[in-house]
Amino acid sequence: MTAEADTAPAREPEAVTRISPLLAKRRWTRLRATLAVLATQLAILVVFLALWEQATSGNKAFAFMFGSPSAIANFLGQMVRDGSLWRDTYITGLETLLGFFVGNLIGTLIGLSLWYSRFVSRVVEPFIIALGSIPIIALAPIIIIWFGTGLISKVAMSTLSVVIVALVTSYKGAVGVDPDQINLMRTLGASKFQIFRKLVVPASLTDIFAGLKLTVGFALIGAIVGEFMSSADGLGHAIFKAGSLYVIPKVFAALVVTIALALFLTFVVGKIERLLMPWRRQL
Amino acid sequence: MTGESSGRAAEWRGTAAGRSAEPPLVVEHVAKSYDLNGAIVPVIGDLSLTLREGEIVSIVGPSGCGKTTLLNTLCGLLAPDSGHIRWHGREVSGQPQNVGYMLQKDLLLPWRTALGNTMLGLEIRGLAPAEAEDRARAMLDQLGLHGFADHYPSTLSGGMRQRVALARTLVNEPDVLLLDEPFAALDFQSKLLIENDTMGLVRGGRRSLMLITHDIEEAVSLADRVIVLSKRPTRVKAVYDIDLGTERADLMAVRESRDFSHYVRRIWADLDVVLQ
Repeated sequence: MTAEADTAPAREPEAVTRISPLLAKRRWTRLRATLAVLATQLAILVVFLALWEQATSGNKAFAFMFGSPSAIANFLGQMVRDGSLWRDTYITGLETLLGFFVGNLIGTLIGLSLWYSRFVSRVVEPFIIALGSIPIIALAPIIIIWFGTGLISKVAMSTLSVVIVALVTSYKGAVGVDPDQINLMRTLGASKFQIFRKLVVPASLTDIFAGLKLTVGFALIGAIVGEFMSSADGLGHAIFKAGSLYVIPKVFAALVVTIALALFLTFVVGKIERLLMPWRRQL
Repeated sequence: MTGESSGRAAEWRGTAAGRSAEPPLVVEHVAKSYDLNGAIVPVIGDLSLTLREGEIVSIVGPSGCGKTTLLNTLCGLLAPDSGHIRWHGREVSGQPQNVGYMLQKDLLLPWRTALGNTMLGLEIRGLAPAEAEDRARAMLDQLGLHGFADHYPSTLSGGMRQRVALARTLVNEPDVLLLDEPFAALDFQSKLLIENDTMGLVRGGRRSLMLITHDIEEAVSLADRVIVLSKRPTRVKAVYDIDLGTERADLMAVRESRDFSHYVRRIWADLDVVLQ
């Protein structure tokens, strides 16, 4: 009896510790899968760069036409040293962010508020489709005339690239709300504004964020296109200038920075999404 | 219903002064049709029924007979083509007050926790947040969801989600509950448990309940009266007063009594289902 009573409490912590190796094993299995993906991606990148370097090292014409990873790295180093990397990234990043915010703010506000009136949304629909079909680059010359060659014209280009997409995605989210859910709100006595605020807006967040992720890229394209047309700095300016002077490795160097900027901005939007929609984290 | 809670109910109803002698719901000669590609399709033919105070009525009918259209019409979500719907003796434009509505889909808002979902109706009525939270917590506790108040719907089982939906309905202390196949998607075990709890809360609170269902056994085991509807255009085909004696206290025992299967067989015959 006493022996049994002594061993019984000792068994419990053992049971607890027996779970954690299992958990650790599962965690390790998952980590290993992620590492395998990362390693493969890295390997592809390394092989690609090595082949590129190999193909251009013995051939001057090739090196001129296609640049080489080492030359690109040299230019990146030079851009870091003379400070142009930070300045150009800052300028383009600022234009992109401003355009992204203004465009999404206006687009989302209009898109969501169109939920309010079936009449108004039917009236404006063809106009929105017409505006959405304009290639933004075609507007660039007019934008430069209207807003000058400084920051504002790039922000305007960026905003225009974003606004229609933001409008359409948020409107789609708003009208896609389950009619049964709206009926439920009505039976609970909700006013139209309460239905809008407590149901339509949060229900549209998923679509709005899908739009945000999409429009990060569009905002950047708008800013770069604006810089192509007329500018004194920014990554688009660097690409355009290097291209005009046939310095192809420098074009690639500025392009690498542009890609890094796009990835960073997308990452930030993803973080904000998870912060604002905690219920999706628990899935 | 306790004095305190009927006081609350009267306060929410605003101008309505307590309960009238009229039955909570009277439906007279209601008809409703839809336009389908230019043709008018009658859904509800000529329907009359009464829900008395404290009564539980089940409505069964063949599939597609317009049960959901009926419910939406009663709730004021659809306007009837003709006929009258009287809540406590009065015709209401828009949504009737103090009526709880629940569907097979739980319709929980995924961005709100169980507590937040339960508070929704109180919040809409403009109740102080602290009081709304207290009441919602009490209701969740009553439905066996203690400890799940801060869970998001995505982390709850189907039965628990439907319990939260029930809490969201009952926390508003409705006089009348209109339930449209609320337990149809649940497994048998969860269904019996939640039915049991629902009946307890409905009978305990002297509430009236109209339960729309396609499950004849559910209808007979729960209701005081079963109304059988015809095919479209829907009319009342038959009405059964269910008398199962004292066994009703136990929903499982009820299903084993001889009268139970007798009712089920007769209603099944009324539904006139053609077997292949």
